[in-house]
Amino acid sequence: MSESIIRYSGRQARAIKTFLGRFLGYGGAQVGLVCLAFFIVVAAVPDILVGPLQTAINATGEFLAPPSSQHVLGTDEVGRDVLNLVVHGARISLTIALLATVISLVVGTTIGMTAGYYGGVVDVWLMRFTDFFFVMPSFVLALVITPVVVEVIGRGQEILGFRPSLFVILVVIGMTSWAFVARIVRSQTLSLKERTFIDRARVVGSSNFSIMVRHILPNLVPQIAANGALVVAGAIFVETSLSFLGLGDPLQPSWGTLLSLAQRAGAASAGAWWYLGAPGACVLTVSLSFVLIGNALDDTFNPRRRVIP
Amino acid sequence: MPDTANILQLESLQVHFPIQGGLFDRVLGRPAGAVRAVDGIDLSVGRGEIVALVGESGSGKTTVGRVITKLAQPTGGKMLFEGRDMTSVQRASALRPYRHRVQMIFQDAYQALNPRHTIFDIVAEPLRSLRLVDNRKQLADRVSEALASAGLNPPGDFFARFPHELSGGQRQRVVIAGALAVKPELIVADEPVSMLDVSIRAQILQVLVDLRHKHNMALLFITHDLPLAWLIADRIAVLYLGKLVEIGSADEITFQPRHPYTVALLNATPQMGGDAGRAEVPALQGEVPSAARVPKGCRFHPRCPLAFDRCRQEEPPPIEVGPKHLAACWLAN
Repeated sequence: MSESIIRYSGRQARAIKTFLGRFLGYGGAQVGLVCLAFFIVVAAVPDILVGPLQTAINATGEFLAPPSSQHVLGTDEVGRDVLNLVVHGARISLTIALLATVISLVVGTTIGMTAGYYGGVVDVWLMRFTDFFFVMPSFVLALVITPVVVEVIGRGQEILGFRPSLFVILVVIGMTSWAFVARIVRSQTLSLKERTFIDRARVVGSSNFSIMVRHILPNLVPQIAANGALVVAGAIFVETSLSFLGLGDPLQPSWGTLLSLAQRAGAASAGAWWYLGAPGACVLTVSLSFVLIGNALDDTFNPRRRVIP
Repeated sequence: MPDTANILQLESLQVHFPIQGGLFDRVLGRPAGAVRAVDGIDLSVGRGEIVALVGESGSGKTTVGRVITKLAQPTGGKMLFEGRDMTSVQRASALRPYRHRVQMIFQDAYQALNPRHTIFDIVAEPLRSLRLVDNRKQLADRVSEALASAGLNPPGDFFARFPHELSGGQRQRVVIAGALAVKPELIVADEPVSMLDVSIRAQILQVLVDLRHKHNMALLFITHDLPLAWLIADRIAVLYLGKLVEIGSADEITFQPRHPYTVALLNATPQMGGDAGRAEVPALQGEVPSAARVPKGCRFHPRCPLAFDRCRQEEPPPIEVGPKHLAACWLAN
């Protein structure tokens, strides 16, 4: 038996290799992965790359100085190095986007799978509940919740390592993006549960819970992975927009917060293109990478059907 | 030979699927119809007996199998298992002892195996979910044993494989092994060989027949193939549009059929050596009518070459035409 276990891992490895071979064959996947890897490294070790986050107190440069050999991406209105800010912003932006995606995938998959599997009344009520979140505007929700949470928690406090406004953004993005995942998962579950192996699982005495976890969930992974990447792209975009509206936290600046600061400092009319351009280009690149990866995953898992939301 | 006590008894079993009427029908108060997939069946299976349920597609034979394995809920009638009424038992925990004793073999072996599970996990699933083993050693032993008795040797070679790495015949053996793992007393086999190559059919049938001899296991063999039913079964029940038209010992049904439908089914079988010795009944015309619109009178009369007035008005009851041989036909006497 030990021999077959060894062969088992061999087979797994071969399956993964085939998958990677096909996935990496897509140009979009290559571009996306390279860009993403770059930003993940940047987000992982910002202090080593550009030193600690600069504030108005330890700012080193002139006000709104254009790019030079000393400040590769110029400086902002209080003399902080824009490169330093952008590199530190990567961490906040990516963390919020990924955590929001996790919330969205967990909630969306649970609700979509339950609704699809049980059907009937459960399906109707869960899907009406989903519709409610489907139409809920994340902007309005965040604008309403943030002051309440900040008031309750207190300005200086942190929730799970995030300052209150960032935590609100995180939860709001999660809350408003799971409905889309739930719908996709539900439709896939509806077709999976008609397969004969679900009938067989019932005949051999498996419980509903074990049928969902052991039979349906593994067959949903392709859909969840492909759409998860698209949800991340959406989350980055929403996070940037919310921060731009001023819901971000100046002490933990994300790319959206930087754009907001740049806009308030009049960077556009002052001709400080580097101040607006740097965070903007980062948001664009990262969202695009996730979309490219998501589409490549979708194509790999499911070459015949293509769903772009 | 099988003893006489019945392990399974169906009493006027009925499965009707309601048809949702359109908005128009509902506003006008028209009654919604129903698909009468199974429309009053009396059938028993003895301990260690092989009963074949024969019918064309649409006759309701698969639905009968699904009711017995509790995948479908009957809308009427009763199902007794060893004398106990199992008709309305639905809770998973209450069904566990029943699942332990009644298993199913599916028609499409590829569809019936989760593509992401290994053969070991597939065969072990009933043992795990019904909590029939205490430790991993026991589990591995039971899985090996089941694979071996389904003819997959050596069993260890199959543990780590995935369904797509096996041939059609091997997959069907895995499905059989999964059903055997719990050592059931009754197996419902829904067309277990219809998707297989002819060369493999005989081997799979042999596995099923051997099991009966070794473990005194009863088998409800669902098929559309009357000669195959004769080959394997002790008794044959012929189903037409949700009702049994004839039931009797395999030999009597095959060599002395009394219902025109059985005769027509036998005549429709291609045979080597020409048509010598066949009954003078013309071949069956047309299709099985929809189970949503069952004909009045005898449900076979629109296709019956021998139909007369009474057949169009009254439905014939099962008439005893021999020892344990019933035929539902006005001409059977």
